[in-house]
Amino acid sequence: MVVLFALTFASTAGAEYRIYWWQQNMAPNAQGYDRLTAHNHIYNELYFGPNAGWRSEVWEVTPAGYRHFDKWCVGNCFYAHPGYYYTYSYCSNRDGSTHFVYQCKDQW
Amino acid sequence: MLVAAAVAGLLTQLGLGGSDKVQIGNGSVSALAQAAQAADTLPQSVLDYPFAERNFASPNGGGSRLLQEQGSLRLYAVPGKGGMLCLIEVDSAANTAGGACADRSVLRTGSIYMADRQEDGSRLVVGLVGDGHTYAEADGRRATVENNAFVLNQVEGGDFTVGSPTASQHVDIEG
Repeated sequence: MVVLFALTFASTAGAEYRIYWWQQNMAPNAQGYDRLTAHNHIYNELYFGPNAGWRSEVWEVTPAGYRHFDKWCVGNCFYAHPGYYYTYSYCSNRDGSTHFVYQCKDQW
Repeated sequence: MLVAAAVAGLLTQLGLGGSDKVQIGNGSVSALAQAAQAADTLPQSVLDYPFAERNFASPNGGGSRLLQEQGSLRLYAVPGKGGMLCLIEVDSAANTAGGACADRSVLRTGSIYMADRQEDGSRLVVGLVGDGHTYAEADGRRATVENNAFVLNQVEGGDFTVGSPTASQHVDIEG
């Protein structure tokens, strides 16, 4: 089991994973995406400030096109999951800029 | 008396606050006023996420209440900063956690919710609703609101409804 996990991780470590998001102020078919330096990613967060009430979606896509960890929510939200996949750290603010999660803006 | 109550209910549905959306209740969540128990404490893993510091009224999640427990899924309500309320979901079997914080006013016209896509393509929808809401419904299946929370499993459509005995509110999950 340990060997299988190690091989799986090695085969995906250099691959392109992306994190996508949509916010209520974007067109229904529009989407943002993030491609920061790869990390063994376990956490996504959307932050719009203390008056949050926006509908949003954040999801991840593997190199094979598999969509997973797909969450819709209202307001500020996060999704934490096991580090099965080698992908990116991500946070989006209302201004559309992206940051590592620990650099999320607390105001704008 | 009956007429007065009916008129009051109609006015509530029409929205005295100027909104054209149907309103239910005043955004209060009585589950948060219940006496605290040990099970109400949020897992430390959730408190360690940067989300907690940015959104919770207290960094240690003070005032949180366990709303529902269904299998490995637990739902918590947490007071948030600046008038926000937060819904936190923790699935100990899947080793996942999620949260949504929004202004309390959202509860008058709908729900603070999260919808997670499942392996079969359906969605697990969990929500926090204000006092007065009694049910949530999707795909013709209804779940009872308990402790201001609901769980809708295997939702195939892109919307759901929350409501009371006299009014209902439509919620679009997608844009």
